[in-house]
Amino acid sequence: MASEGWGKQGSWEETESFVGKTIAISKGVDAVELGSVRKWLEPKHFFPPIHSDTAAAKAAGYRDVVAPRTMAFTYGLPAYFDAETPLEKLGDTPRQIPVPAIFDLPAPCGQSFATSVDIEFFDDMYLGDRITCTHKLKEIKYKTLSVGEGAFLTQEDTYTNQNGDLVALAELVIFRFNASKKDD
Amino acid sequence: MIDWKSNLNVDEIKVGDVLPAISIPITLQRLVMEAQGNYDLSLMHHDKRAALTVGASDAFANTFFLMGMYERLLREWAGNEMRIKRIGNMRMTSFNVVDDVTTFSGSVREINDEVVTLDMESRVGDRQTSSAFALIKL
Repeated sequence: MASEGWGKQGSWEETESFVGKTIAISKGVDAVELGSVRKWLEPKHFFPPIHSDTAAAKAAGYRDVVAPRTMAFTYGLPAYFDAETPLEKLGDTPRQIPVPAIFDLPAPCGQSFATSVDIEFFDDMYLGDRITCTHKLKEIKYKTLSVGEGAFLTQEDTYTNQNGDLVALAELVIFRFNASKKDD
Repeated sequence: MIDWKSNLNVDEIKVGDVLPAISIPITLQRLVMEAQGNYDLSLMHHDKRAALTVGASDAFANTFFLMGMYERLLREWAGNEMRIKRIGNMRMTSFNVVDDVTTFSGSVREINDEVVTLDMESRVGDRQTSSAFALIKL
């Protein structure tokens, strides 16, 4: 799960200057709606009626059809292209989902991999809700692993709805590093 | 078939109970549908050439898929009235690639009033591909 030659470049001093600060804000491109919920459920072969049927959702104590909890990740994603985005050229680097701890945070490393994800859930997501994700750098822990020398960066992602209510709080730990030379 | 009219009560479970495991084939079609559904369009999750550059043998399932499958594991076991409070410390230990069959499983670690802690993992054969814990309220 390592990636070579990517990530914003800079010094560790620059990385440290971001601790406790917002490093990016992602506005979810799509509101919660039945079609995107169905497309998320289908490949998992997962069909609970609370995600499609109002009566079933109300019987289970929700106020209406509710989105799957872990779909917060999806509804917090911005568009890949919009009217202001120049059309890409053949050979351009393909676009990725936002991982600000790699792509927006300067660090003297060319490789990275995710080590863990943790998510705590609060308010439910209902049809029509729009999700925003605020990404902060929570902490840096320097470490040398067998793959190389680098640091664990903890990215704290706060998912809120259009009313500012907390939907989910996630932590993504990324190890950014430079690979050890084979003769080290 | 899942009986969605049935909801698990905390009085019906005990520490050590094992959840019904779920096996799902990792086909390329599933990965493409998953990319469409979870909107992580990174090439490594549906393109073998891109996957090879990061050390996988083929296109591989992403974090959102694993998280969603853990949600399915919990929901199908406990029913519609169960609330998921947290999926914690999910670690991805190896790839789930095209032609793998990944099995998600779990067991009850602790029961504290209506809050239940579960240990979960995914495996391809003998190889663990991820692990996590969950907190749910029944």
